[in-house]
This record gives sequence, C-alpha cells and structure tokens, in this order.
Amino acid sequence: MPYRIIDIADLKISNRPGDILVTYSLGSCVGVAVYDPVVRIGGMIHCMLPLSKVDRNKAQERPAMFVDTGMQLMLSQLFESGVRKARLKIAVAGGAHILNDDNLFKIGERNFTVLRKILWKNSMLMNVQDVGGDISRTIRLHVGTGRFTVKSQGTEVHYELPQKD
Amino acid sequence: MNYLKKIERRIQEFPEMPAMCRTLLQSLEDPDVDFKQLEEQIQYDPGLTSNVLRLANSAYFGATGTVSSLRVALMRLGTRRVSEVVTAILVSPMMLRSLSGYDLRSQDLLEHSVWVAVASEELARLMGYRDVKMLFTAGLLHDMGKIILDPFVREQRDQLLQEQLTESFDRREQDFIGMSHAQAGANLLAKWNIPEEITAAAKWHHDPESAPEYPEQVNMVHLADILGYSEGIGAGIDGMKYRASAVAHKRLGLKKSDIEYVASLTLDKMNELESLLT
Repeated sequence: MPYRIIDIADLKISNRPGDILVTYSLGSCVGVAVYDPVVRIGGMIHCMLPLSKVDRNKAQERPAMFVDTGMQLMLSQLFESGVRKARLKIAVAGGAHILNDDNLFKIGERNFTVLRKILWKNSMLMNVQDVGGDISRTIRLHVGTGRFTVKSQGTEVHYELPQKD
Repeated sequence: MNYLKKIERRIQEFPEMPAMCRTLLQSLEDPDVDFKQLEEQIQYDPGLTSNVLRLANSAYFGATGTVSSLRVALMRLGTRRVSEVVTAILVSPMMLRSLSGYDLRSQDLLEHSVWVAVASEELARLMGYRDVKMLFTAGLLHDMGKIILDPFVREQRDQLLQEQLTESFDRREQDFIGMSHAQAGANLLAKWNIPEEITAAAKWHHDPESAPEYPEQVNMVHLADILGYSEGIGAGIDGMKYRASAVAHKRLGLKKSDIEYVASLTLDKMNELESLLT
C-alpha cells in the first residue's frame, strides 16, 4: 500500500482508498488526522508550533507549520472536497514534552492547547486523543477504512472507526 | 557488564577524521593563512570542489550571487565558512547510518545534527553573540558519540527504558553502559584532535552548567539540541528524555517566543542543508 508521508510542517489530504497517510516522530509537535467515513476522505497535518504570530512570513510560506494557520488550511481544503463537519472523526497525537517542568520548552502543551481551542470553537470533538508524556509517536491513517494507529517505542495501538454513530 | 573496554575499542577502530578537515580547521587557528593555500588543498579533489560550490551557492551559507569558483567562494564566504562547509561534506557520510539501538533511521542522526548546527547559530544571532568560534561545527558533531554507543544501547534497551526511571537519558547511559553518548563523543573528537570548542560542546551538551570552558558554544548547542528534540527532529527512543538546563536559558534571558521563532527559522534551513549533504 502506498504510504504518503507528511513531513514536519506539512499536510496532505487523500481520497484514494489504498493510501496510508503517515507522519513520523511527533515529539511536542501535534499530529491531527481527520476522516469523513461517508465520502472516505482523510487528511493529516504535522504542526510544530502553536501560533503563527511568532513568524508571520513563515506562516505565509508554510501555513502547516503552525497549529492555527495549518488547521484552518486543512479544514478548508477538506470542506471544499465535500467533507462535512458533522461526520468528521478526529484523532490527535503528540504534544509530548521533555523531562523538565520548565515552562520554556513546553511547546507540546501549548500546541495542544491551541488545537483544543480551535476544535472547540468549531464544535468539533476529538474521537482519539493520545497526547503528552515524554515519548515520541508515529501515526497512520488508512484512507480506505478510517483506521488510525499510534506507534511509540515499539508498541502500536489501533483505533478502528466506530461502527455506528 | 563492562562496556568501557568495548567502547574504547570502538573509538580506536572508528575512522580517523578526514585529513582535509583537520588541516582546514587547524589553518583557521592560524591568522596568516591565505586563500591560495586553502584553494590548493581543496581543488585536488574535484568531487569535493563541486560540492563546496553547491553549498556555497545555497541560501543558508548566504551567497547572494552565483559562486562559480573556489576562489570566489573563499573570498565571498570567508575561510571560516568554507572550512565549515568542507567539514560538513566530509563528515556527513559517517552520520548517514541507521542506529537501531536508538531507533534512528538512516537520515535521522544527520538531520538532527544539521538542526543543532543551524539552530545554535540562529540562537547565537538572536542573543547578540557575534562570532562564536566553531559553533556550526560544534553543533554538527555534538552527537557523534551515539554512533559509538549504539550497539550497547541496543543490548541495554530494556534497562534504559524502564518506566520508573526519571533520570535523563544520558545519565541512564552512564548508569547502564558506563558512559554517556556525550562523553563517548568527546573521546572520539579528542582522538580526532580537533579544536577544543567542538569537543567541549559534545562533552557538556547535556550538562552545560558543569562546563569549565566555552560556555557560549556549550549553552547554544545544549539549547539547540533540546529544541530539536522538542520538535521531534531525529528523536529516537531517547528523544524526549532529556532536561533543559535552567541556568542556560535564564542566564541568556530567552523567552518562549524566541525559542519558537528560532524553531520556525531553522526548519527550512535544515531541510536545505540536509538535501545538499545527502
């Protein structure tokens, strides 16, 4: 099956049932996978920083670097291709932190906070949430089935699409 | 479980530093070195020459026009930049290997190292430190010790990842293997006999407060390293299991927005350099 890799600060959407969207090594970055089981379209984004105001130029060039501009772009692309908000399944992973309690490097927590606010404002719910801790994660979304997996330190957890909503 | 002898043997058996790198780095210490000598040394190797020109023309190294000859590259970038470029070209093949103990894919170590080299320079610039000697190369070579320790990390993996452990990963290496990758890297670089700033940054990059010398190099490399791991750049099983030194950033007065700004600048530059080096 063709893997389609989402690099850091990048996003992809797909409607090809054979595709597996994958993003590797989410540390404090957040990875968001969204899926509409009716039209079978999925999207994935790998954001490294919370807010675009830290570097407006970069946000123009690479909106997916930031949670705010990236989510906005991905959602508008998905809605344009026929995805409906009410049907979206949303899985979120990453947002980890290094061992310190120190505030300076709590980028993961800030990423997740901004993401949660954006979802909340749009009345969207997270179906899967695997965030925090001091581990890095790799996530996959199978476009044909909506299956979502999180792999970390050799263990993989599968989340199947809920059968009926 | 005595790995120390084995570690020592791996360091002894590791390839020497390419002779050209050492000559160039040493020539930097000599204020009288002239362009012509450097040019002669590099142009013996046509592959190296063309690679130097490709990097000299990259956005990262700041050549605005087209650099078409070594002479122009040396004049426009200066001998310091050219020697950094040559070192990066000659050393990066050594880093392009997967390290299964640390769970790093073949590009991961180089990617992380390039991130640290670039982010160290960006941090130094933002904080107003001018001309921190050897900073780029110190960042690039800070994790060479992982290549040395990898087989032992693989053997001790279950121990190193026990859930109840709260020590940072370099301490765990010290406890279960007998040496941290920071120390192993410093030992390798000492054998390579390259400038002390570089060895010091490797040795103290997880414990910057204890560094007796070269605080600027050590602190910048430390913060760039932690920032890289935070962003998951080349992070393996150890990736998030480190601590940021409070002293390093409190003394430097860095803010959250500074850290995030440096991260946003570093990503594209890292991608550019990495693609030129592979």
